Parts: sequence; structure tokens; C-alpha cells
Amino acid sequence: MSGSVAVSGPSTSFEAPPPVTPAVRTAGPTAAGQPGPVILDVRNLVTYFYTYDGVVRALEGVSFKLRRGETLGLVGETGCGKSVTMFSITRLVPDPPGRVVSGKVLYRGADLLWGLDQEARFVPARKGNRVKVKRSFRKVKAAQARVGSIRGGGIALIFQEPTQAMNPIFSVSDQVSEVILEHKGIESIDGILAATPDGPAVQPAIEKLARAVEAGDDAQVRAAAKELGDAVNLPSFGTQAYYLARQARSSGSATVARDLHKASSRLRLSGSQRRYLHSERVLMQVARESRAVYVSEMRHGELERAHHRALGRQRARARLRGIPYRIPFIKRRASKPLREEAAWKSIRALEGVQIADPVQVSRGYPHELSGGMLQRVMIAMALACEPEILMADEPTTALDVTIQAQILELMKDMRSRIGTGILLVTHDLAVVAEVADRVAVMYAGQIVEIANVRDLYGHPLHPYTQGLLSSIPRLDQPSKTLTTIPGSVPNLIYPPTGCRFHPRCPYAMPICKESRPPNTLEGEGHQVACFLYHGPPTTE
Amino acid sequence: MSGETMRSIPSRFTDSHIGPVLLTARNLRKFFPIRGGLLSSHIGDVRAVDGVSFAIHEGETVGLVGESGCGKTTVGRLLLRLIEPTSGHTFYHAPPEVLERVEQSYREIGPYATKEDGESGSWSPKAQAALKELDEIADQYSIYRKNHRAMKSLRGKLQIVFQDPFSSLEPRMMVREVIAEPLEIQKVGSHNEQMARVNELLGEVGLSPEHAYRFPHEFSGGQRQRICIARALALRPEFIVLDEPTSALDVSVQAQVLNILEVLQREHQLSYLFISHHLSVIRAVSDRVVVMYLGRVVEHTETDELFSRPLHPYTQALLSAIPIPDPFLHRERIILSGDVPSPAYPPSGCHFHTRCPAVMPVCSRVDPPLTEVRPGHWVACHLYPPPSTSPASGGAESLASGEGTLPPSVEGEPMSSSPSGALTTTSTP
Repeated sequence: MSGSVAVSGPSTSFEAPPPVTPAVRTAGPTAAGQPGPVILDVRNLVTYFYTYDGVVRALEGVSFKLRRGETLGLVGETGCGKSVTMFSITRLVPDPPGRVVSGKVLYRGADLLWGLDQEARFVPARKGNRVKVKRSFRKVKAAQARVGSIRGGGIALIFQEPTQAMNPIFSVSDQVSEVILEHKGIESIDGILAATPDGPAVQPAIEKLARAVEAGDDAQVRAAAKELGDAVNLPSFGTQAYYLARQARSSGSATVARDLHKASSRLRLSGSQRRYLHSERVLMQVARESRAVYVSEMRHGELERAHHRALGRQRARARLRGIPYRIPFIKRRASKPLREEAAWKSIRALEGVQIADPVQVSRGYPHELSGGMLQRVMIAMALACEPEILMADEPTTALDVTIQAQILELMKDMRSRIGTGILLVTHDLAVVAEVADRVAVMYAGQIVEIANVRDLYGHPLHPYTQGLLSSIPRLDQPSKTLTTIPGSVPNLIYPPTGCRFHPRCPYAMPICKESRPPNTLEGEGHQVACFLYHGPPTTE
Repeated sequence: MSGETMRSIPSRFTDSHIGPVLLTARNLRKFFPIRGGLLSSHIGDVRAVDGVSFAIHEGETVGLVGESGCGKTTVGRLLLRLIEPTSGHTFYHAPPEVLERVEQSYREIGPYATKEDGESGSWSPKAQAALKELDEIADQYSIYRKNHRAMKSLRGKLQIVFQDPFSSLEPRMMVREVIAEPLEIQKVGSHNEQMARVNELLGEVGLSPEHAYRFPHEFSGGQRQRICIARALALRPEFIVLDEPTSALDVSVQAQVLNILEVLQREHQLSYLFISHHLSVIRAVSDRVVVMYLGRVVEHTETDELFSRPLHPYTQALLSAIPIPDPFLHRERIILSGDVPSPAYPPSGCHFHTRCPAVMPVCSRVDPPLTEVRPGHWVACHLYPPPSTSPASGGAESLASGEGTLPPSVEGEPMSSSPSGALTTTSTP
């Protein structure tokens, strides 16, 4: 490629990010009562799109913090940069034309955007306001690999259109299994290897389950199946036993014990199956270690080439040993226990999002499921790897209200159960009011106000927030006339000078045209960027 | 639905801005055939609209609410005859005495009659006479009986604004041509008169004359939707179907468009059918609301009545599911389980019984008729027995006196003479 970059050695000017401390309490109580530690710290994010018409200044200095167990709503009109913020954090901005230009995203002390300044060089074109971007594709690729080590595992994503986020040619089970094998593969293998299908407690447990099936009480069957799972030392076998038993109940219970015994044969490994599992485990271990090396690179700010080379050698050796299992017929036989284990684990994940008949759903293909059901599958996939952060881009916009209520209830439940921090990107202020703890309002690529959800809806400070809130038709206040915000969102190739909202602002002053308002604190944790307010500036 | 539907002329009828009945939909049905199997034979029907009746008065906005796939848009298209109905009529400008005769005929025939059933010869002579009378009225007033020429001139009076302003404007036509196209087709005025009308229309929807020489892609979503409204207004219509006109727009722009629609309605005495899944918008704009579920009307009443006293369990769940932009508000939510069933294989009896929190044994067997349980408040649900059955025991009276919004207990109430007959064993679970 012609676009190589003149790089002056590895970055030495990079300062190690300061340790992440539970900063001053700025938000109201989270679901848990107390705000948790900061798990995501976004600082001065700048993202531009270099198009033929000019540079679209999509994000201009976006900063916010997300705490553990907190839901942060990111709201704003179309084209204000909500989704771009989410994509910039995870480096998913389509590149070209887009590029994250500068900023820091600190996750567990690691800067996800580290090395950004060396990835590309910007050359102003001779004519117009176009800018040529010369990328170093080697460095872009390395950066993608680094962030890729956190995507899915640490930060999971849910996209707006569930029908387009899934692959139409694989069954639901295959797609959820893939996520489980990628992130929880080692645990799955260890589970199979540690299972005791012929342990002393197994036969009594099977008989007990058979009796429960005869009794016909579903709760009893479920408890007995769980007991069987414990006896086999593999919880997913308990799930399998439960659905087998349920199926058997409809056809007559005589064969339950035999069926269960037969099902447990997937845990009696042959020699080649055992060898396959060991060789896969080594590969997965190498992959996991290399992810850890990537994270450590981002944390310490220097490349760890020696580490990568050593891991590369290990990987090569493991692949060499695994060659027999590339032969289709052998692979099919040898990988069966692992595939079945992943499938049953994915059924457990689907149970977790309250899908009524997970076995049936997991056998289906995306086109057979409704939008709400698919969105549940997406959430199950995102939560299968127990992420610390869940980023949801308009998760309910494509759904009906009754289904939306189900999904929002589910997300609230997940947050309180797993303690996931949620970044909820949406244009629907009502949804945010129902689920978020804190809200960040965006306008034209900047955050204009961040506050605790009650403060924001009770005392909106920024004129844009006020306009937005008063333009919503409300069920509870029907007689209220709708006020509007005159004009529309500006073209971000030529953004307004100073405060980007000034052309539409009813309180615009001369200073608004000249300089960008600083972020000031008005009351506890209520941050606003407007010249109308003269509180102390925020620390950043 | 039940024969008395059309008497449900609401009390708002006395309001100064609402005039006489403009359009009356009666027993509208639209089945889309499912083809498959050998020689792609007809193996079933998607019952998109299954017996919908309501009236729209002059200067009135009727809101049509429901989840996706419940047949809202199909009803809108049927009212404009953009698609032909399987059966049923839409009477346009029928005088009240004619509508009274229509009701009389339907009472004779029964709630679910179609002409096809009548031709099979299984009807009593009285019902056949009623069918014949209905046929005569339909020939005169039903828009589905108009010939091509009459329909073309009628099209100018019945207009539509579509949901997506990005796909409903031809990208290769200037705004001027887009708005003048209806005038062109109906041959209204000379070129100069047409251009003057275009400028006038642009002014009415809050755009300026220089916008006439631009192309649709140069406008934002809200501005495009205004262009669509201007185009719908070009022929001075009496009735406009607004098919989710603001769902593709941001809230601040949505408010602009809704305000424009309200001003236009007052100035031109327009009638709207406002189709939306967004109940807060419906509450802001409509005078009366029709709630649909799987092709049928489940509740039909005035807006304030519906939102303060929803009676059907589906409406109650729908209302409680809507998020309200107020974090201080805490409500009991009714979370419905499951999805909307497929309209190709609707559940038996009441279509909602698979998801209903207050389901009773009778619900899966008998389809509840739309009954007037309070003056002007029509509900299709077994929880509410028809008032005519027990005038003395006071089932309807206690409802009318307004005892809360929850379904009243129907235990122990005599319901023996209810029209379907199978209701006798009903009791709340």
C-alpha cells in the first residue's frame, strides 16, 4: 500500500494511565444503592469522517464515565453521534471513511485507543476542505487485534436490528455456541473432562428423575434434573436431562431412565475425543494468553513482541498436533462432545433470557423467529460471556411496545443480577427515563448535559435538553401543547462555531457564537455545557 | 362486529369542529391468500382485517392503534380503496337515515354476514331482503362500487401520507413537480395556476417558495414529511389517512409536524385517520381511538375515556407498557408474555386469549362481540357483559357510574340472554 506512515519509533511519550479510582460520587444511587467503581472512562473522544464532501466532525470531545452496575443512557436526535460514540469506543467505526482521531477510552486501566496517533497521517488536500488519510494498515490491524481481545468478553454489544445482526445460514444454537466456545471454551472442555457420568450418585439420581416424571410435577422434575446435573458434575447435563424428561413425559415415562443413560454417553469420551479436547484446550489457552498480552500492551503502552512470538510458536505446535482432527470424518467424531456441550450451554443461556421453549428456538434459524425473540437471543449471546460492560444500540427501537417492555425488564434484571454496566444508546427519552440511572444528552457530536436521571428530567438545564423534553407527547400530561425546537440538526461538515446549539437556541448570546462553553458542575454530578450557567468547571 | 356499532356517535359529536359522518367502514375484511402445495393452490388466508367497523366524522381525528401486524395499515388502505376488500363496505357521505337503514339490515343479517354467504341460499327471506337493500345502498354510497371514472375524481378527496418520507418521494422529481403531480393528473388549472397553488401549499406546511426548485434528497426527514403533506393537500381533500407519519422522525421534528397537521385540520375542516403504534402521539392528536388486535377492533371510544378508563385487558397492557419520560413516576406494569400470534393462524375465540392476563375458559371458545359497556365506549371482551342483558341487576349501571378502571367482577351476574348464548357459564378466574 502506498499509505505507509513515517513513524518515529515506538511511542515513548505515552504516559501510563492513572489508576482508576472510584471517583467523587457524581451520580444518584444506582440499582445497587451505591455507585460502583468506574469501569469505563471515555475522555475527549474525537471522531471524524473523511468524505468526498469534506471532513464530517462527528464527535468533538466526548467524555463520560460508566460505573459498575450502572445504566447510562445516551440520548439525542438522529445524527448527533450516539452510535458513533459507541462504535468509537469499540473501534468499530467504518474505516475508511471514519477515523477516531484522538481521545482515550480507559477500561481496566487499559487504553483501548492506544497507538492511535501512529495509525494514520492526515494530508490536507490542495483544494476544498478535503483531507487525505494515509493509514498504516499494519498498525490498524494490530490495533483491531488489541481491541478485539476485549470485544465480546469484556464489552459486549447489542445492535439495533436483530434480524441483521445474525447470520441467516446458521441455526441459533450454532451462533450462540460460537460465542460460548470463543469465550468460555476452556471452561467447557474442563467441564466435560471433569464430568462423572458413571459416578456413584448418578444411577440414584436418574431413578429419582424417572419417578419425578411419573409424578408429573414440573418443579419436581426440574429439581431432580438439577440434582442429576450435580451428580454428573456438569450443570449443562442437568438442563439436557430436564428437556429429555419433559419430552419423555409426553410420550410415556417408561424409557426415561434408558434415555438418560444413553444421553450421558456423550460424556464417556473415546481416546481420540479426549486427545482432541486436549489439543483444542491448548489452542484456546494460547488464544486467551494472547488476549491477555494485548490487554497488557494497552495497559503499559508498549508492544510486547517477544511475548507474541513465543505464543505464536506455541500456537504453531498445537496446530501441528491437531492436524489429524482437520480430517472431516475424524473431526466430526472427535469434536462431538464439545459441540454438544456448547449447544446445551447455549440452551442454558437462552433460558436465562426467558425464552419459553429454548430447545425449539435453538434449533431454529433467524428467519423463523420474531424480532423480539431474536433480540432476546442477541442479549443471551451478549450475556453468555458475562461482560463487564454491555453496550446496546437502540435495542428496542425495532420492536413493539409490549415486546419492548419485556426486553427492558430483562435488561434491568440482568443488571441487578450480574452487575453489568450498561451503555444504552437510544433516541427515546421515555425508555431512558425508565431504565437509566444517569443520562448523557448529545447534540451534534458533543455531550451537552450529563446528570442523574431524576435531576435531568426534574431540572433540565441545557436549553437543548429543555426543548427535547417539552417536545415529547406525553401520556400522563395530555393537554400540554407540544413545543418545538426550531430548525434542524446542523451539517457537521460545517458545524456552527462556538456552542453548536446556538443557531437553534432561544437564549443565544454573542459569546455563544465565539467560543465553546466549558463543562460546568451545577449541583451534585449535574454537568452542563452552556454559558447560562456559571458553576465550577469539571475536573477534566 | 355487533350490529349497533354505528350508533356509537360520541358525545364529542356536539363539539363545534366535528361535523356529520364522512366515512363509515362497515364489516371490512381483507384476507390475503396463502398459496402453496400442489399447483400453488389456495391453502389458507392471512386474515389481515377481519370485520372492522367504525365511522369518521368531518373535522375529526380517529386514532388507530395496535402492534405491528395487527392490520392497521391495511384498514387505512381499504378506506382509500388502494386495495379491494374481501367483503364489507366503506360508505362515503351517506346521510344518517341511510346509515340507519344499513344498521337495520345488518341487524337482520347478523354480525358476520357477507354477500357470498347469502348467495348460498341459507338465509331467511327477511335476511335476504336486508341483503338486497344493503346491496342497493352500497351501489349508491360504497366506494368499492364506484367505477373507474368516479373513483378517479374521488381520489382527490381521499388522500394519504405514508410512513417513510424517504421512499415516498420520487428522487428524480423536483419538489415543485412532486406537489403539482396530483393537480396534473386531475387536470386542475393551468400551469401558472398550478405553480401558484404549489407555492401556497409550501407556505401552509411551513416551507418557503425557493424550496420548490430543490430535490427531495436535499431535505431532512421532517421537511420531506411536510412535502408529503403538501402533496396530499394539493387537491383540497376531505379525508387524509396518516399512516405513521411521524415514526421515522425525531421527537423535536415530530412535534413540528403534529402541530402543522393540527393547524391544517382546523383551517380546512379535514378528517384524519391517524395510524400509529405510538399511544402518546395518538393521545395528543386524536378525538376518538380504535384499538386493534390481530385484525379485529378490541376497543373503541373517545380518547380521554380510553386513556383514563381502558377496559380491554389488551388496552390496559398496552398502556402500561408505554415508557413515560418521567423517572419520578412508578407504575405497576402489566408485562404481556409471548408474541403477537400469526394472523394466518389466529387463536380461536378471542384472539387475545393466548396472552391475556384475565383469561377465562370461555375466551378460547367464543369470540366476544363488540359491545357498548358504557355510553360511547365499545369493548370486545367477555369480562364485560352487554348491558341489555341485566338492566335490573345493574352490571352496566355500576360501570356507567364509574367504579375504577379495573374490569369489574362478573361473578354471579345473570348473563343468560347474551347474544352468543355460550356465556352462561362465565366467571372470573
